Amino acid sequence: MSLVSHTAPSRRHNVPLRLLKTYTMEIILTLLVIFLIAVAPGFASTGNILNVLRTVAMLGIIAFGMTAVIVCGEIDLSVGAGAALAGCIVAWFGDQFSGVFGEWGAVIVGFAAALLLGFTLGYLTGRFRQWFNVPTFITTLALFAALRGFANLITGGFPLSSFPSGFDFLGGGYLFGIPFPVYIFALTFVGMHILMKYTSFGREVYAVGGNMEAARLSGIDIWRIKAWTLGLTGALTAVSGTLIASQIGAGTGTTATGMELDVIAAVIIGGTSLFGGKGRIWGTLIGVLFLGCISNGMTLMNVSEYWQYVVRGGIILGAVLLNQVLDRVR
Amino acid sequence: MTLSHRTTSEQGTQGRLDFRGVTKRYGPTVALSEFTHSFTPGRVHALMGKNGSGKSTLVKLLAGVTGPTSGTITINGEERHFASPHDAFAAGIVTVHQELSLVPELSVGENIFLGRLPHRHKAGFSVVDWAGLHTRAGELLSSMGLDMDSRQPVSALSLGQQQVVEIVKAMSFNPSILLLDEPTSALATREVNQLFALVHRLRARGVTIIYITHRMSELFEIADTCTVIRDGLYIGSVEMATTTPTAIVDMMFGDAAHATRPPRRTTDRTTKPVLEVRNLTRSGHFHDVSFDLYPGEILGIAGLLGAGRTELMRAIFGADPIHSGTVRLDGVVMTGKSPRDMRKAGLGYTPENRKEVGLVQSLSTADNLCMASLGAISVSGFVSRRRERPFIGRQITDLHIKCGDPDMPVSSLSGGNQQKVVIGKWMNRHPSVMFFDEPSRGVDVQAKRQIFEIIWQKAADGLASLFVSTELEEVLEVADRVLVMHLGAVVAEVDPTRTNLTELYSICMEGARQ
Repeated sequence: MSLVSHTAPSRRHNVPLRLLKTYTMEIILTLLVIFLIAVAPGFASTGNILNVLRTVAMLGIIAFGMTAVIVCGEIDLSVGAGAALAGCIVAWFGDQFSGVFGEWGAVIVGFAAALLLGFTLGYLTGRFRQWFNVPTFITTLALFAALRGFANLITGGFPLSSFPSGFDFLGGGYLFGIPFPVYIFALTFVGMHILMKYTSFGREVYAVGGNMEAARLSGIDIWRIKAWTLGLTGALTAVSGTLIASQIGAGTGTTATGMELDVIAAVIIGGTSLFGGKGRIWGTLIGVLFLGCISNGMTLMNVSEYWQYVVRGGIILGAVLLNQVLDRVR
Repeated sequence: MTLSHRTTSEQGTQGRLDFRGVTKRYGPTVALSEFTHSFTPGRVHALMGKNGSGKSTLVKLLAGVTGPTSGTITINGEERHFASPHDAFAAGIVTVHQELSLVPELSVGENIFLGRLPHRHKAGFSVVDWAGLHTRAGELLSSMGLDMDSRQPVSALSLGQQQVVEIVKAMSFNPSILLLDEPTSALATREVNQLFALVHRLRARGVTIIYITHRMSELFEIADTCTVIRDGLYIGSVEMATTTPTAIVDMMFGDAAHATRPPRRTTDRTTKPVLEVRNLTRSGHFHDVSFDLYPGEILGIAGLLGAGRTELMRAIFGADPIHSGTVRLDGVVMTGKSPRDMRKAGLGYTPENRKEVGLVQSLSTADNLCMASLGAISVSGFVSRRRERPFIGRQITDLHIKCGDPDMPVSSLSGGNQQKVVIGKWMNRHPSVMFFDEPSRGVDVQAKRQIFEIIWQKAADGLASLFVSTELEEVLEVADRVLVMHLGAVVAEVDPTRTNLTELYSICMEGARQ
C-alpha cells in the first residue's frame, strides 16, 4: 500500500509528459492538420483530402517496404527510378504485346514482369552486399542512375501511352468514393504491419538491424533477411510505379523524379532509425501523411515550389533532430 | 603545438612515481584498495595480477582516464590530479595501450607526429614541413637504435614494428614515465627481442617503465622488479633477481581455495561422443586441434588471451571459416556449415562479448530470449507475444533472470542477467551441445555462481559443454576435464582433480608441462 501511495503522485505527474513523448509525431501531425484547416483555403474539402490521400498512397506503398529495409540496416536509393521503369515496362508491354496477349493481357503480363524485375533487383542488391561486400547505398545509387536510363531507352524518351481503356481506373479511379490507390495503400499498410510485428520474419528484421553479428550467431540467416526486405521493396516499387503510370496515362522515364528522397524522408519522420533496428510501420504512415499534408498545404497557400523544397529539407533535418532529442529523454 | 628538438637530443627527465593509499571504487565495488608503492626511475617495474585484480584500474588512474576515490599520486614528490588523459600527458606519463592506435595508411613519420605536424611558411601560407618532419622522425628512430624508413606507410610494417613505432611515438613526447600495457601480446619472438632492446635503452636513459604482461617467461628477461596485486590489494614487490616463477604465481593467486561444487560425475566414455573434432585448422588462429566431447561432460579450455580458444569455438560453430579438418556432431560431418545449420543440429554458442555480439541491445529481454527459436515459436511464420510467453517465462524462472518487465530493453539489465538471457536464448532450443565462452566475464560473484550452477545442472541433464574462461581457477572448478591451448594448439589435457593452479598456469604460459 505504501508503495502505491509513494509512486502514484509522480506517475500521475508524468502521464501528460509520457504521452507527449510517445505520440510526438501524431500530435505534431494533428496540429499541422488543424493549422491547415484554419489557414489553407480548401484544405478541408472532401475533394482535396482525397487528393492528398491519393498522392500519399503512391509514396506510402513504397515507404512501408523502405521501413523494413532501413530497420534491417540497409537503404534503397533506386525507388524513384524503379517506379518510373515499372510504369514504362507496363506501357511497353501494352505497346508491343497487345496482339499476342490482348490489350489487358499485355499490361497484366507487363505488370508481372515489372514486379518480378523489381523484386529480383532488390534481392540481388542484398546478395551483392553478401557476396562482394558492396554497400546497398552504392548498388542502389548505381541502379538509381541506370534504371532511369533503361526507362527512357524503353520508351525512346517519350511518354508511352499505350494502355487499354479503363486502365486509368487503377491510378485515377474511385471505388465507393475513395481513390483506388488508397485501397492498395491500406492493404500494404496492414500487410507490412503484420509482417513486421507478427511474423518471425519481422522479428528477425529487427534483430538483424539491431545487431547483425548477434543475429548471425543466433542462427538467423541475415543475408536472406536483407535480400528479401530489399526484394519486397522492389516489388512494392513496381506496384506504385504502375499506379503512377495509370494515373498520368503514360509510362515515362521522367516520372517519380526525387521520389526516393520523399520516401526516405517519410520513413525518417516516422521515427525509424537510419542506424537500423528501430522503426515502426505505423510511424511511417504518420510520416507519409505528414509529408502529404505539408506539400498540399503549401501548394494551396501558393508557396513557391522552390520554397517547398527548402521547407522539406528543413523538415527532414528537424525530424531527425527531434528523434535524437526524444531518444535521449525517453 | 610545436615539437621541440630537445626530444631527440636531451636525456629524458626523471620521474619518481609514488602511490599513497590510492583507492578506487566503482559503486560498491572496490577495484583498488589502499595501494601504496613507489616506482623508481631507471628501472623496469613489472605489474602482475590476474584479470580483475585491479591492474587495469591502476593503468586507468595513471593514464588519467579516471581519478582515484581517495589517496594521492605524486610525481617527484609533487601531488598530481589528473582530470583527463591530457593532464597525465602533461605530467610526463605516456601510456602505450595493448591495442595499436596508429593510422595504417599514413607514414611512420606522420603517425609519430600526428596532430602536431611541423609547419613552415611558404608564400604566406602555413604548409606541412614534410622534409623537417621526416628528418626529425629519422633522428628519433635512430636515437632509439632503430633502422626504419620514416616515409613508409605503417601498413607495410609487421605487427612488432608497429608496436615499436607506437613506443617511439610515445617517447617523442619525452615522458619521464612510460606505461606499457601488454606490448608483446601479439608479437613473435624476434619482434619481442627488438622491443626488449628498445625498453632497455629507455631504461638506460632513466625513464621509469611500468610494464604489464601475462607472460611469465619474459618477466625475468625484461623486468627489474615485480609488483603483484590481487583482488585490488597490494600483495608485494619482489626483485626479479631473487625470486622464482612459482613464488610470483603464489602471490597472484593466493591460496585460491576451491569453492564447493557438486561432486564430479564420471563421464561415460564408452558411449558415442556427441562432438568429434579432428585436426581442425584455421590458419593464423589455431591448428591441428582434435578432441571428443561426451554427453553430460563439461570440457574446459584453458589458455592465455590469444591462445585461440574463442577462435576455435567460433570456427566449430560455423561463424568463421575452417581451412582443414572435420567437425562431427552426433556422427554427422558438419564441417563448414553456417551457424544456422549448427543451431539446427543442436549446437548453441554464448559468445565472449555479450554486449557486442551476444545480444541485440535495442530489443527487449523477451525478444532476445526468443531470437534463436522463432521457428519453433511461430505457427506458419506468425508469432505473437501470447505464443512467446511460455518461452520467455520458462527461462526467466529456470535461470532466475531478474528483469522486472521482460518487454523492457535488455540493455537495462545487469551484466549477470544479460548473460543469463544469452544462455536462456539457447536453452529455449534444448541444445545437445553448448559452447560457453567467458560466461562469467563482467558478472558479479553471485551471478557467476548461479551461471556455474546452471552449467552443472544442464550437464547433469545430459548437456555436453565446452567451457572457456581466462580465469584458470574457474576452469579448474567448473570443468570435468581441461584442454590447454597455447599459440593455437592443444598442448595438454589435464584432470582438474589432479592438478593445481600453479601447474596449469605454467602450462598456459610455457605451452608444456615443466
